This record gives sequence, C-alpha cells and structure tokens, in this order.
Amino acid sequence: MDRNQLMKWIKTPTKMAHKYSLNAVYFCTGCGIIEVPPTITTRWDAERFGVVATATPRHANLFLITGYVSVKTLRAIIRTYEQMPEPKYTVGFGSCTINGGMYWDSYNTINQLDKYIPVDGYIAGCMPRPEAIFIAVTHLWTLIDKDMADGYKRYRKNYGAYRANQEMVLGELEWPPLFPTEIHTNTGEGETDATAATPTMTEREKDDELA
Amino acid sequence: MRELELYFGPQHLGMVGNFSITLNVEGDRILKATANPGYLHRGFEKLMEGRTWIKNFPMVCRINVVEPDHMEMVYAMGVEKLAGIEVPERAQFVRSIYLELARVGSHLFGLWAYANMLGFDTVANWAMYHRDLVLDLFEELTGGRVYHIYIWPGGVRRDFPEGFTDRMVETLHSIGGCVPDYDSTFFNNTLFSERAKGIGVVSREEAVAMGGTGQAIRATGMKYDVRKVDPYAAYDKVAWEVHTREDADAYSRIWIVRDEMIESVHMIFNLIDAMPEGEVYNRIPNPLKWRIPAGETYVRCESSRGELGLYLVSDGGEKPYRVHFRTPSYSHGLTILEKALVGANIADVGNIMISLYVVAPEIDR
Amino acid sequence: MTSSLSTRLDATFKGVELGSGDDDRLAVSIPREAVVPVLTFLKEEGYDYLQLISCVDWIDRGEFELVYLLSFYTEDEVGGDGGKQDVLLKTTVPREQASAPTAIGVFAIAEPHEREIHELYGIHFEGHPRLTPLLLDRDYEIPPFRKDFDTKQYVADVFDRVPPVEEEG
Repeated sequence: MDRNQLMKWIKTPTKMAHKYSLNAVYFCTGCGIIEVPPTITTRWDAERFGVVATATPRHANLFLITGYVSVKTLRAIIRTYEQMPEPKYTVGFGSCTINGGMYWDSYNTINQLDKYIPVDGYIAGCMPRPEAIFIAVTHLWTLIDKDMADGYKRYRKNYGAYRANQEMVLGELEWPPLFPTEIHTNTGEGETDATAATPTMTEREKDDELA
Repeated sequence: MRELELYFGPQHLGMVGNFSITLNVEGDRILKATANPGYLHRGFEKLMEGRTWIKNFPMVCRINVVEPDHMEMVYAMGVEKLAGIEVPERAQFVRSIYLELARVGSHLFGLWAYANMLGFDTVANWAMYHRDLVLDLFEELTGGRVYHIYIWPGGVRRDFPEGFTDRMVETLHSIGGCVPDYDSTFFNNTLFSERAKGIGVVSREEAVAMGGTGQAIRATGMKYDVRKVDPYAAYDKVAWEVHTREDADAYSRIWIVRDEMIESVHMIFNLIDAMPEGEVYNRIPNPLKWRIPAGETYVRCESSRGELGLYLVSDGGEKPYRVHFRTPSYSHGLTILEKALVGANIADVGNIMISLYVVAPEIDR
Repeated sequence: MTSSLSTRLDATFKGVELGSGDDDRLAVSIPREAVVPVLTFLKEEGYDYLQLISCVDWIDRGEFELVYLLSFYTEDEVGGDGGKQDVLLKTTVPREQASAPTAIGVFAIAEPHEREIHELYGIHFEGHPRLTPLLLDRDYEIPPFRKDFDTKQYVADVFDRVPPVEEEG
C-alpha cells in the first residue's frame, strides 16, 4: 500500500471501506446474470476487487442490474433497491438497461432504467465480458472517491419524481413511500445519516420472502 | 400448525434465475406450490414477428441464456425446413460438435448451480472454471463468449479455424481428467446422496402426463432422447448411448447430467474422427429480401434440458407470421415443479428445481 | 397404421378434415367442439405426449387457429414406431368472443399452455380452473400477441412517455 493510499484510509476511512467492500445483491434480473457466476468464481475472482455476492439486500451496497428489466421485475427491483442501506450504488449491466437494447420495441420491458431508479454507471455491451465488470468496479471506486457515485442521494432528493415515474408504469405501488414525496432541499449528508435513511420496516411480507 | 404463505424468490439465494414460487407451508413442509413466472417475459415471439427471418437469429439465442446454441439450431432447422434449404454434410458435423460442446458447457453450469446450492463450493468453482474453458473455445470459434450466432440457415457461419479441433480435444481432455476428482468429491460423496436420494420424485406416469422430457423422463428409465428418436444434424452418423436411471429423483437426474457430459465428450471425439471435408454452408438468397414460402412446421432438437421445439408459420412474407417455442423448462418449471414440491422441505426447493433444470427465461420467453 | 388412423378418425368424428402437413406429420382439422373427444381418442391411440398448444392469429380471416401438436413417447431408435406419424390437430376459433374447450382433462400439460394463450390472445378456455395471469404484470387493452396490437406504438405511448428525472433542479 503506497503512502497515498494510507493517507486516504486515515482521512476518509468510511469512503475507503465502502470502496473495497462492495457487496453485490444476489438478484438475477436478466440474462446478464450468466456472466456473474464466472466473475465471482475462480477464473476471474471478483473478490480481488472486494466484490462478493450477498444474499439479502439489507447487507448489500452494490446492485448490479443484469440486463433487460421487465415490468414485473421492475417492481422487485424497486423493492430490493429501497431495502438496501445507504450508501448504495447501482450499475446497469448490459445495453438493455441503457436504452432497451434488443428489446427496444417490447411491450413488457422498460427501456431506460434511470427513469425509475438512479444508476451510477453502465456497462455497455451484450453480453459484457467479466473484464468489463472489473473496469466498472474500478471506475466506481473513482466515482466513490470523488463523491460522484451519488445515486442514492439523488434518489432521496428527487424521490417524488422517481416515485411518480414508477407509478406511471406500475400503477399505484402497494408499499408506502420511502421518503417524503415532496421535493425537499436537504440533500442528505451521505454516510453520516445512513441509518436515518434505512427503509421503513413496514414491509413485513418482504421479510418473509427473505426468510 | 399454522399454514403460512412463503414467497420464494425472485430475490432469493436459493433461487437460480428470476423466478418466483409461492409456497404454502406448514412448519417446514410444503403443502402447495404455485409457480409465478413472467419476470423475464419480453414477448420474443411477438418481437420476432416484426423482424426479418435473418434478423431473428440474434434474437433467438437470447431466449435461453444458458444454452443459446440450441435455440439457434432449432430456429435454423425451422427456417431450413420451410425454405427447403439443404445443409452440407460437413456443416451437419460441425453443428453436432458445436451443440455437444454447448451441452457440456450448459451441464457444467447446471452442475455449478446444483453444487452451489448444496454447499459444495469447491465443486461449484471447478465446474464454473471448466465451463469457462469451454467458453474460451466458443470465443475462438465465434468471437463471443455467451451469444455466438454461429448457426445460420444453410450451415454454419465459418469452418473450424486451423488447429481448432486439436485445441478442443486438448481442453476436453483436461476437463475429462478431472472427472475422478468430481466423482470423489461430489458424485460419490455421501452428503450428495443423502441430500438428493428420494428427493423430488417424478414418476414416469407423472412425467409423461405433464410433458416431461430430458433428464426428467430419462431418470425414470425411459430412453427418450430427440437425438435418437428424431435424429437431426449428424447424430445418426456416430454411435452413442442414451443414459438412463431408474429412481426418478434428484440424485438420478444429476447423475444423468454427469453421464451425458461424458457421453457428449466421447461423441465429439467420434464426430471429429468421422467429419468429412467440404463446404460448411450453402448460399441462401439475399437475406434482406428473403421471402420464405407459406407453410408451417414443427421442428425439435434435444437441448440439455429436454425437448426444445419450434412451431413456425410463414405466410410467404419477409417475416415469420408466428413463432412459438416449446421449451423444456416450460413443462418442468410449471406443472412438474408444482407437483414435485408438494410434501418436500423448504430446504429442498432449490434442490428439486435445479435438478429439474428449470431455467426461468425459457419459461417466460 | 397411419392410413388406418386417419380412416378411423374420419369414421369416428364428423367434420374431420385430413390433410398432409408440410412434412411427415398428419394434419387434422376439426371443429371446435370435437377437440376434447378427438384428443381423448388420439390419447387412446397412443399419442400420450402433447408437445405444444399454439395459437395463430389469422386476422384477415377473422379467426384464431388453435394448434395441438401431438407425439408419443418411444424408446425406439431412428424412425420411431413403425412409421407412426405425429399429429398436428387444428381448430378455429372466431376472433370475437373467442372461447374454446379446455384440454386439461386429457393432458395435464395443457394447463399452462392454455393459461398463456388466454393471457396473450384473450381466448377463454371453458372449464379451465385458473385462468389467472401467468406472464404479464400489466393489463393490456388488446391482448399483446394479437396481430392488431402494435407493440411499437405501445412502447411510444407508455414507456417513452415517462419523463427523465431532472437531476439538477
């Protein structure tokens, strides 16, 4: 570890800790999941980069949205995303999350993921290779360092708009809003009030799902 | 004891793929299971009606991400049958080799999922590593790791590159050399037999009534394999066997997977030896203005999960009029799974589901 | 064997039209009411494997065509059971108030197929125990697999209409 890294650890320990322990939520949202098992096993070994798969979203801080998002999956994605504690990072994996990819004219896939939840970065391609995941992860480090991976802050800030978009496609959502839906000026302080932003624990049935 | 409703998936560690099952449980015992697919529905068959015949090749392979190659094959077979295109002999062999290689890759993926679910992390890592070696071969041959789009109507896209078969044989030998390790660590392990014997029994009557194919039917002792019953490509040109077991449980099905993998490798060696020289594709008309005579057909091939069929209708236009895939996971994942889960433990849901080889995108399409 | 099956079919049921499919399949067209009896008859003849139930929307003719693909389990190698053909059974359903009898009583596997056709084409299957949504999460005015459903228009109307979230206020 060079001197520079050491200084970073001393100055911004939380940031460094987030950077090097990215716990990806185990959710196969689309066909991109096919490249995740090779990535987390011996050949490519994502643990070198601090990326491990985590069973429950409540322990995770990285959400890899692997591929196309159908309307039915979008509901599950939003619920999963809202259960993740802050700070949390979202990476859209594959072309389908950017503009719909091959399924641009499908009646059942949403085309642009970032209209519904904030996305910190995209990996282009179909199918992106495992190396592309590592490039994305290292790029995400840079973004975290520079405080630019602020998707969760934007989600909180623009929650009203996000929620409105979600309801436009999904109809009325059956769970209560995570944040007050009117736009408020307090943008949140990131890590320091992460606990305050934990999702409300009203989602009992979701807990059953994770049992 | 109180009856509870338990949502299993889509976000669940025991769930492979984006699929959900609603379980009615009493304690640890499942009273009723309701499969809830549709998380991956993209309406492929509708989208394909809006694209030209040739443009659909990149589409079909994305239906089943675990084994895109059989999807290409069945669509190519359908198009060839409707358009009356002949495939050169060498291309038949190339296709067979390519499909068997895909079967090995797919089975290794299945083994990863199964071993991972049972907690055999070492075996899971081996299987995934070995699958990656197979993907390297595909990458050399086609340029893509996952989606290859190698099979075209009238043959295959290109011939094997110089020395490819040698490298393929070498890779397969190195994977095959690990079979004793797999056997001693996993297949002959008591932990595996204790977890899998007698679990998820689907009797022959049930399997037949619910349209089971692939391992689900071969685990009941029936030698039903489309490659034998209705041969395509070059499967009738070499000798090989269908592997069966009698117990109809998860243990039998996973053993069949292992035996099939070894059989596939042997088959590849035989196919390489018997492969004739010649062209690997016949020219087709200008694909951008290609019209296929009106007609309908049903073609099928044996994917690593069971019978993969395609009902294809043309009205004489530039695009298919109707495309309908009969995917093996459809019957395995909806009717058979719902039946097999009743009476099982919650801990065995993944066990049964993966041993039936259910892949969600195939169901939803 | 095959000719006798077609003659027996012709003798047993009214309104059976026999044709030769494009390939080695025996194509049979029957009226809608005869679906269940004919399927039962064929099952007794040894066709124990329903491969697929499909539906084609012939919008110009104003009708749906339900297609039942029947085969049989066999252990015989190459060629199958003495030249026994697979069967392609067809029936038509009018597009308005489309409804057909369910085949679950004969083949258990018909259940998800019919559920899917009900959802994607809007054909009602009489006697089906659960015609609940299978794949879709939204309600569509026109069932999406019908030919008059324009998927591009739908995408433009629904998904493209969603505005991007203003990032910087």
